[in-house]
Amino acid sequence: MDMTDLQTAPHPASGAEAEMLGAVRDIANGALRVAAEATDRGIYPRDLLQRLGTAGAFSAHLGPGAEAGDYASAIHAMAAVSRVCGASGFMVWCQQVCGLYLQQSGNAALTGPVLAAHASGERLGGTGMSNPMKTYAGIETMLLRATPVPGGYLVNGTLPWVSHIGSDHYAGVLAAVDEPTGESTREIMFLLRCDAPGVALRPCPSFSAMEGTNTWAIRCTDVFIGGDALMADPARPFIGRIRGAFVLLQTGFGLGVAQGAIDSMWQVEPQLGHVNRYLDDRPDDLQAELDALTARIETLAANPFSAERDHLIDVLDARAHASELALRAAQSALLHAGARGYLISSEVQRRVRESHFVAIVTPAVKHLRKEIARLSTAETPA
Amino acid sequence: MTASEAALAALQPWQQFICNVCGLIYDEAAGDPDSGLPPGTRFADIPDDWACPICGVSKTDFVPFTPPPPRDAHSATHAPKHATRRGVRGTAESSVLIVGAGRAGWQVAEALRKRDATLAITLVSSCNGDVYDKPQLSVAVARGIAVHSLVRESAADAAQRLNLRLLPSTAAVHIDTRTRSLRTSRGPLRWSHLVLAQGAEPALPAALPTSLVWRINDLTSYRALRAALLSRPQHIVLIGAGLVGCELANDLALAGHRITLLDRQSNPLSAHLPAEVGQRLLRAWSDLPIQFVGAVRVSGVERLAGGGLRVNTLGSGYFDADQVIAATGLRTADRLARSAGLAFDAAAGGIQVRAQDGETSVAGIYALGDCAVVDGCASRYIEPIARQAHAIAASITGQSCDVAEAAAETAASVLRVKTSQLPITLTRMGHDAAFGAASGAASGAASEVTSDATSDPAQWHIDRNDDEALHMRSVSASGRLIATLSAGRTQRTRAEMRPAAHDLRAHS
Repeated sequence: MDMTDLQTAPHPASGAEAEMLGAVRDIANGALRVAAEATDRGIYPRDLLQRLGTAGAFSAHLGPGAEAGDYASAIHAMAAVSRVCGASGFMVWCQQVCGLYLQQSGNAALTGPVLAAHASGERLGGTGMSNPMKTYAGIETMLLRATPVPGGYLVNGTLPWVSHIGSDHYAGVLAAVDEPTGESTREIMFLLRCDAPGVALRPCPSFSAMEGTNTWAIRCTDVFIGGDALMADPARPFIGRIRGAFVLLQTGFGLGVAQGAIDSMWQVEPQLGHVNRYLDDRPDDLQAELDALTARIETLAANPFSAERDHLIDVLDARAHASELALRAAQSALLHAGARGYLISSEVQRRVRESHFVAIVTPAVKHLRKEIARLSTAETPA
Repeated sequence: MTASEAALAALQPWQQFICNVCGLIYDEAAGDPDSGLPPGTRFADIPDDWACPICGVSKTDFVPFTPPPPRDAHSATHAPKHATRRGVRGTAESSVLIVGAGRAGWQVAEALRKRDATLAITLVSSCNGDVYDKPQLSVAVARGIAVHSLVRESAADAAQRLNLRLLPSTAAVHIDTRTRSLRTSRGPLRWSHLVLAQGAEPALPAALPTSLVWRINDLTSYRALRAALLSRPQHIVLIGAGLVGCELANDLALAGHRITLLDRQSNPLSAHLPAEVGQRLLRAWSDLPIQFVGAVRVSGVERLAGGGLRVNTLGSGYFDADQVIAATGLRTADRLARSAGLAFDAAAGGIQVRAQDGETSVAGIYALGDCAVVDGCASRYIEPIARQAHAIAASITGQSCDVAEAAAETAASVLRVKTSQLPITLTRMGHDAAFGAASGAASGAASEVTSDATSDPAQWHIDRNDDEALHMRSVSASGRLIATLSAGRTQRTRAEMRPAAHDLRAHS
């Protein structure tokens, strides 16, 4: 019950990484905390995100060339932001994972100045991978269709609920290729610039939280995608290569929301501890579980591009655990805080709604478990 | 559309259409007034630029929708009378979690229920959990057992009879010893005692791709293989002429298939038994379509353009086949053991357990059956499982374990190679602890009886070798009888068999 360790979650990073994390935590505990409620209600915190970018929160995981950088530090940065504001933390993930696509594309038109401007936060963008990921898992069908034309493709269709985009943003997305023969055997992945001709952003109905994440439906009408925007063609091998890193990065969001909830429990402990001790999921229990999970994730982060089946199962399970822990911690924090946590202005009830998003955003808990079950089943000859 | 067609169409009942993305239901009767579609707008009449009012996707992402019939109540299958609940903080609920629904898992459940009528037991299984005898898989044809008859008791029936909670088709992923929980593909499960009966999985050499090569280690894979063999007699290349490989070769040949049996050694069964046995087995197979090719090293398997398979070797050419089966041994996946920090014997391929009660290096976690290793020795046989299950159940319930009672059932352990053309019986002397056979041969590897790595090396002697039978005995340098062996239809006399034999592998 030591209140002094609230602001200083230990991390083995040293040197530049430690400096980056220090700067990120300063922003999170300062301006980001002030803006958190507005971000929840719908104000996109562009300036704060760009300050996080300047601090290095979007580039830690990007090594030289196509190499992995420091994934643990990238996850810790996302967690530090999510601890204060889940919506902002989620946008850190969007930006980080879009940077991952650019870096891994191997397309010189994307890995040069485009990646540099993205990694620094000068330019911002997100990811429209929910539908393709679910399509590959056999849950949905591809919503964007690409028709080959001289020099590229024409893309049509509507992608719902793409976060962290806007008129001067972009997103990494996939489209199924419709061949002239009528066949569709592969997909392309590309950078979709929101200001390109034929792209229209349509507002989405309100969510219960996370409204400041600039989430739109993207409608594409004959949008031309040339070679300078292609990330992967065909896309499946690319997705297979980055999938583990994609999911692993996302754990920072859940870790941070869970940590924020635990913080809230400690804050009411001096006044309410005498009655809160009758509750399940006490902050010391949850903290120990969170610390163990964080350590597990740090181990996985040392090898983010591993193609081992066991590694991928562990990544999926760690992501599921982060969701479950965020749900339990946020729920318990509300019980610990009581009515004061139920105020519309309270971060405690905001975090309950954020934790719901942690658990349902792709890959949702149910998707993760389905995929773990699939990967755990031995393959046999057909 | 003519006026009469339109009039007819208007008489059709209102249809509903569901958005594939967000689940919004467009009801023709209600329309979508917010988007300018009045009630009664047929889906076909919706303009193409209409968007789903919830998620914004287009009309083409909708499909016809029929509401599911109302459900009276959710029938809870496999619901126990006492479901496992999350314990109150600080109180360790008394519940046993068993991982694996093979013989070992079910035997522990039986033994626990026998000792405690109310204990909460949960069984997690990666397969459906049906109860069957694994040794039957390699002798089903010879014994005339139909594939559908292999299941002795359905998982649901066994779960109900034992009043336990069964989680079938559930992957066990990660053990958290601090919270005493097991992470699974159906969520985390708490336990006060954890029993690992996860078995061992086929150890497939890298040269053999899982997409092309069968491994027969459970009923699911066996069923799939038999289904693939149904259409016509086929040519099967079987890699590995150990106990399982020889039994399968014998059985599938009886079923009318042509077998090419490959092994790295020059004789079948030579990893476990003296060369005379393998040679005799080959003679006994002379009437069956089995071709044994020894001293072969397989380098890969590929799919041919015509659909068949080709097994390539190092220096021995290639073998074409309709099906390829590998029987190249077993090893225990170390995922769970690693996650819990359990001592794991990588060489023996299993989780280290204590001989007297099967406890692993972490208190409260036990292991038995194929996944357990005692004193550096894995046991991949049926026979010790019942004793192990009793010992674990006694330890968990805090009752005394009469190891003597359990062990006395088998003063000697018997291994049968159920090759119908030449039944082979290996009898090893002595049992001490519940989990092993400390005196002389360990209960696990039969190769121990031929090993000369001990301080008291053993040697095989031939007692009888004629047309009827081969009888051998293994005697240590100091004269101690370690094992006896008989191959052929003429078994040893009862006196010779001393002590009485029990079938290790088939509980039929």
